[in-house]
Amino acid sequence: MSERLPAPDFDAQNYARPNQNWICGRACEGNACRPGPDAKGRCCATAECKPILELKPGETKGRWRCTRTGGACESGPLPDGGCCRPIAKCSPVPTLRLLRGRLTLAVIAASCALLLIILASPPWRNGFISPGQISQPHSGAAFAALAETNHLNQSCGACHVAGNTGPNGMVTAALHADPGILNLKQLATAHAATPTAIDESCLKCHAGRNVHQPDAPPVSCSFCHLEHQGKMMAATTDANCNFCHGDATKMAVSRATPVIHHFADDHPQFRFLTEKLRDPDTLKFNHTLHLTGATIPKLPGGEKLDCGFCHQPDAAGAFMRPVAFEKNCRVCHSLQFDPETPQLMLPHGSIDFVSAYLRSLPKQYSDLATKDGAADVNGFVTRKLAGLRAQFGSGEDLEQRVFFSTATFGPEAQIGTLSGATRSLFPGCAYCHEVTAAASGSPLITKPVQTEHWLAQAKFDHAKHLNISCEKCHDAIHSKDTADILLPARETCAECHSPRGGVADTCAECHNYHKSQLVAR
Amino acid sequence: MNRFRRQLFSGLFALIVATLAALWLDARFHTLANYAFLTGWVLLAGMFVLTIYNVRKKLPFLPLGKSETWLQIHIYLGFFTTLLFLIHLNFHLPRGGFEITLALLFVLVSGSGMVGLFFSRVLPRRLATRGGEVIFEKIPALRHGLKGEAETLALGTEAKSPVIAEFYAKRLADFFSGPKNFWRHLVESRRAASALVAGLDDLRRFANDADRAKIEKLTALVRQKDGLDYHRSLQLSLRLWLFVHIPLTYGLMIFTVLHIVLVFGFSGGAR
Repeated sequence: MSERLPAPDFDAQNYARPNQNWICGRACEGNACRPGPDAKGRCCATAECKPILELKPGETKGRWRCTRTGGACESGPLPDGGCCRPIAKCSPVPTLRLLRGRLTLAVIAASCALLLIILASPPWRNGFISPGQISQPHSGAAFAALAETNHLNQSCGACHVAGNTGPNGMVTAALHADPGILNLKQLATAHAATPTAIDESCLKCHAGRNVHQPDAPPVSCSFCHLEHQGKMMAATTDANCNFCHGDATKMAVSRATPVIHHFADDHPQFRFLTEKLRDPDTLKFNHTLHLTGATIPKLPGGEKLDCGFCHQPDAAGAFMRPVAFEKNCRVCHSLQFDPETPQLMLPHGSIDFVSAYLRSLPKQYSDLATKDGAADVNGFVTRKLAGLRAQFGSGEDLEQRVFFSTATFGPEAQIGTLSGATRSLFPGCAYCHEVTAAASGSPLITKPVQTEHWLAQAKFDHAKHLNISCEKCHDAIHSKDTADILLPARETCAECHSPRGGVADTCAECHNYHKSQLVAR
Repeated sequence: MNRFRRQLFSGLFALIVATLAALWLDARFHTLANYAFLTGWVLLAGMFVLTIYNVRKKLPFLPLGKSETWLQIHIYLGFFTTLLFLIHLNFHLPRGGFEITLALLFVLVSGSGMVGLFFSRVLPRRLATRGGEVIFEKIPALRHGLKGEAETLALGTEAKSPVIAEFYAKRLADFFSGPKNFWRHLVESRRAASALVAGLDDLRRFANDADRAKIEKLTALVRQKDGLDYHRSLQLSLRLWLFVHIPLTYGLMIFTVLHIVLVFGFSGGAR
């Protein structure tokens, strides 16, 4: 057995013991006593020696002998055997080791005390242990009202069972978690996005998951919607969508949707293009003519007719208001049927109104003459009616011509003209509308259908695209047929909505996963 | 290659390999359902091994391997655990009072450990360069002795010099009264001692031969006291970082236990 011996100059009489808790109070003066303090920091100094009682044969009392190191003192022991030279006691000082130990205990005690105080006080507890601010929809006044209606806790307990309890309840909830605390195998092999117990809390207010595909696999709410991330709930990322859409195995059950990773890369072309859909609207409208035609007049303000005159955004700015005849068309197409009386215009919107108007033409001419202060009202009416009879024959013929004719009374170039006496000549309803004859011979006009939203699966907001021109996305200038669907192709969108274009290109930018809504129970 | 370098290279190699492996695993598996739980348990295991090093030091009689080996493991595992901590946080800042406190404790413990490693690598070399081996626990006694010698020289009744006595009272008494210039010594500044020595040099022009001999001795005592303060400053620094590292380690472990309870009690699997 090898044992290291102390160095030759080792001072065994003055050995410092830094691993002990206390050192002699006189150590700093270089006069530390040999025994030093005891383990509790009490000075052990007593006297310079401990006298020994010597008994010679036959003696009963004996004699005390001084045992002082360095030789006996002059006075010798006291009669009771005590040393006559007591050593004054010092105040031992703690070593760094003891101070560190005390600080460690203080930190442990402070940590435990602080946590117990905070955990025992619900207002402090909830604020302290929350791993981040709750999103506004789950923390505002509206949520509080809904929680009250649904008989839910308005704080952590609304979602977390442990949030309704104190420290004991938290421990109990932790021990009953599934997977359990030490169930490492289950933790490691659990499938991502599998619904968990806490999803049940979401469904207390949200009416089911209402996913976009009824046969989609169940996904945990928190897989996409992470709470405690701030006032605004974190946006759903492409990784969430790609959990299914980026997985060929999962998408194998879908016949319609291929595997998609990024909009610009492998998003399918829009279906209205791949399936060559056509606009079913029966109204006859030529965008090319209206935007580039030489015969298209200036607007009353002198501006050139452009997209914005007819296509006005709605209040939210997301979509366009339907084009309305009175607001957008009549300014050029005034339905003036008589070139000489531009004040008289056919009504629009109802076959019955038009018929009634035509049958009341004598009254209309009479009123016009009276209004204009004509001297011979009857003569004026008679002359106008005679003119109509000469041109169209009977009143029925005139009515047939108004509804079914596509011809113009004058040169075609003057159909929309705003200037002079030949302002907007009326060719007939069938010029723009699909007019058919009923079995009785009366006209039937197919009501125009304006599709407000072509890409039903996607969101779009015109207000966010005001910085680009209409022509960039809508090729209206080359469209002569109403059946043309003037929407851009995927590639046009991807010019901006891609990493290269620098505009957001996430799935959630256009698509909604849920058809969800809150419920009050 | 000496043993220290061999240890350093093998330790760094192991650390680099472990770091690369951890980053690869993070990139490969971070989409697992309970990834944060798994990294948390690995992090806890690392923290546990780091913590029991202190316990191992208190049980030298048990055959638990060499303390030197434990220290090497403690150092390199400490660095690796810091990486695990960042992976566990998903390289994001924590949110909420409790998690920020927990992360702050980890940073303080980890940071103090790195400071301690830096001190233990740098300060002993500086002490050896300065020279003079002094046992830290005996510094107060040595300082007391130097103070006594200086007082006797400057204020002793034998051939007392008023100039030296005045200089002692004004400038040296405070210097010898206790440890001085802690921070200056830590940054290797000797300006304070040099100023005192310069002051003593200035006294020579007013001193006779006997007083000059005293000044010589006082100058030597000032240099010795300055060296003693230097040793105290550096040796104390080698001990003081543990006043942050060890106490906060236990605070961190307490907060960690509560973190586990909260995570499981409030997680998706809690009922």
